[in-house]
Amino acid sequence: MLDAIQFSTWAEFFDMGGYGFNVWSVYALFAIFVAINLIFPWRKKQKIIRQLKRRMTLDAEIQSEDDSSGD
Amino acid sequence: MWVWFFKLGSPKWFYELSGKWLPWLIGAMVIFMTVGVVWGLVFLPPDYQQGFTSRILIVHVAVAGTSLAFFPLMFVAGTITLVWRMKLADMVAKHAAILGAWFSFITLATGSLWGSVMWGTWWEWTDSRLVSMLFQLFLLLGVISLRSALEDSDAAAKACALLSIVGCINVVIIKYSVEWWNTLHQVSSPVTTDASSPNGPEFWIATLIMIVAVYLFLSVSLILSTRNEILERERKAQWVQDLVLKS
Repeated sequence: MLDAIQFSTWAEFFDMGGYGFNVWSVYALFAIFVAINLIFPWRKKQKIIRQLKRRMTLDAEIQSEDDSSGD
Repeated sequence: MWVWFFKLGSPKWFYELSGKWLPWLIGAMVIFMTVGVVWGLVFLPPDYQQGFTSRILIVHVAVAGTSLAFFPLMFVAGTITLVWRMKLADMVAKHAAILGAWFSFITLATGSLWGSVMWGTWWEWTDSRLVSMLFQLFLLLGVISLRSALEDSDAAAKACALLSIVGCINVVIIKYSVEWWNTLHQVSSPVTTDASSPNGPEFWIATLIMIVAVYLFLSVSLILSTRNEILERERKAQWVQDLVLKS
């Protein structure tokens, strides 16, 4: 498997036979595209749960205040 | 069969089921992505004509091929929404449009980065494949803006289902454009087991792995967004409130 590696030095690896800019740009773009479309929905879920939690505790407080003022 | 179909339409049922699937889908996605990218960047040999730019193609082909799945998916989801009034299908259609626009954009960008060195041009207005793919991006942006203007109403679902039909016709045009019009973009390479062929097994198996990786990524991202939409739309339901309390 190791002799299937197409490069012997790091410089060669980054150069990609003279097409380094294009090849690395494509893989970088692909990585950003994948990361954004996984991280954003994941962070949004945390945000939604946080907001729902806050609203529920707020509702519970109002409820208990109503109950105590009713006495 | 029908019980299953209508159960799937229930947001709560989908939320629970997809929660069980997600770890497996994410695990498989990580494995296929890693194998595909390492193979592409480290092991894929240079093409006899293209050199190492062939490494761009395994990403480009996987994203481009997958981008054609969005309009058929939106058409099916739109039909289910209109015929069976299934809200879940509408949520999937909404997020499919957004993800599909991303896929179309990345297809065009990676294609340009390949074309700029292999064709000597970033863009060619007379090429049918390039122009029809750009049309798909604009159609999807149209669907997204239509939805935000009509705010998840019945009219939005109808208009988007209609645009999906146009989108599906365009998918056929994208697919066969390289055969119907003989322009710059090359036709797809046939799959061959001949190891001495420039598109032999090491090239197409790498492409196949990337295609599986990209489809898994599509499913994971779409499921995550749909689950968020369910939480937002069903926030008053008891099961969502129980879920929030438990987390």
